[in-house]
Amino acid sequence: MSRTVAVARMQLINKWTYIGWPLTILAASFLMSIAIFALIPVTEGKNGGGSQAPLWYFLVLGIQSMTLVFPFSQGLSISRRAFYLGTLGLFSLIALGMTALYLIGGVIEKATTGWGVYGYFFNIPWVTEGPWYSTAAFFFVVMMFMFIVGFWFATIFKRWGTTGTLISTLGTGLVLIGLAALATLAEWWGYVGNWFAQQSPLSISGWTALLCVVLAAGSYATLRRATP
Amino acid sequence: MNETIIEARHLVKHYKELNALDNVNLSLTANRIYGLLGRNGAGKTTLMSILTAQAFATSGEALVFGASAYENDAVLSRICFIRESQKYPEDFHPQHAFRSAALFYKNWDQDFADRLAEDFQLPLKRRIKKLSRGQLSAVGVIIGLASRAELTFFDEPYLGLDAVARQLFYDRLVEDYAEHPRTIILSSHLIDEVANLLEHVVVIDRGRIIMDADAEEIRGSAVTVSGSAEKVDTFLAGRKILHRETLGSLASVTVDEALGSRDRAEAQELGLELSPVSLQQLVVRKTMAGPGATGAASKTNDFADDTLEARR
Repeated sequence: MSRTVAVARMQLINKWTYIGWPLTILAASFLMSIAIFALIPVTEGKNGGGSQAPLWYFLVLGIQSMTLVFPFSQGLSISRRAFYLGTLGLFSLIALGMTALYLIGGVIEKATTGWGVYGYFFNIPWVTEGPWYSTAAFFFVVMMFMFIVGFWFATIFKRWGTTGTLISTLGTGLVLIGLAALATLAEWWGYVGNWFAQQSPLSISGWTALLCVVLAAGSYATLRRATP
Repeated sequence: MNETIIEARHLVKHYKELNALDNVNLSLTANRIYGLLGRNGAGKTTLMSILTAQAFATSGEALVFGASAYENDAVLSRICFIRESQKYPEDFHPQHAFRSAALFYKNWDQDFADRLAEDFQLPLKRRIKKLSRGQLSAVGVIIGLASRAELTFFDEPYLGLDAVARQLFYDRLVEDYAEHPRTIILSSHLIDEVANLLEHVVVIDRGRIIMDADAEEIRGSAVTVSGSAEKVDTFLAGRKILHRETLGSLASVTVDEALGSRDRAEAQELGLELSPVSLQQLVVRKTMAGPGATGAASKTNDFADDTLEARR
């Protein structure tokens, strides 16, 4: 257990990687969004996609933790299990912290009518329209999803190299296209549309969380036999 | 005290086109300095990776501290193996790497790490990505030494280090080993440089162990006889010859056996000169005499180039 905690602490030794950079990216994207909102002379609510900026960095973190931190952890003779649990635990902590920031930002944003310029950065149509816990669940799960997708692709890459990554990427694409073709042929699109229309941010979070669990379990199975 | 610390049984590692390890059996006892010697690609790193569960054997068994190291914290926490091509997290500076090691090694000595960093003139606050090859090697060497792990592997630790830094490493290793006995496995192809440190030598070639003996034992185990070709050949008739060189009517022949006092006296009478064979020469000769090397003239030349290069 202590070695698992140490894996998380190890990755916080350089504060920039997990704390400094996400906050910098968030702050920069926030300030730029507000500047742009201020330039648009409209007194109705304005929305932008700036709040997703840190998510892309999480994808990169997920990849790097597998391609760089994992080999280092092997050098220090850390078991694969301790590395996996420690890293995933750290992911969750960071995602939790970021979710809290987004929630607080959202509250302030509403109280100040969009920072005085009618600009909405943390409030996103549909996503943040439910109760607070549904918003929180959505942010948290989406952040975890980005980490885990990055991590999962990197495990595939570590284990099976470029060929394996290509096959799994193309394979995923083919399956999706196949499903779309099937839906078209069988004329299921109406049902699909209906299904999506019925979803709430909370239920989408639930489905995404399920996908996260599957991918996380998949990464662990792959990691068990990965070499640095 | 001298319990067996490493036990490899019938280890085989098969890659697509080659046998990186071909039925390796090895038994090493604790608290000694071992040299794992061999050419580039002979299987040194593969063997160390499998012992430390960083890689997996195709078949066979590798026991460290009596158990497999795979996912075994009780074993892993006593091992340190920084590889020659070790990777570090993206934004890490050497000081971050040292603080990480401090989290995992209970005997970690920060003062020692600081002193070593000074010795090697390693910048502690520069991104590891930006370090030179020698500085990168220094990071690994410092982690290996300061972790004081019961079983420490050094994988070609001197790459890119200048002669002074290499000497520093050898000196610090011996000093610290004297104060804190532990098991050190030093993989190297710079045999002459490390020969004096080693208590036991394991030579691996094409995935097979071709020599596994105490350094003392090896030192007298071969001899080079030189003199007139005719006399040398008569004198050595029937002995196990490792290598033969001629220059005009003179011959210099290395035999793979020790000569007794009677033999020595006879050699002196014949006017033959006897000279000791260095560990490096012995390893080179044995490797070249090994299976698969016969008739492959280009390969022997390669090796000569390799050793030359390594000594530069």
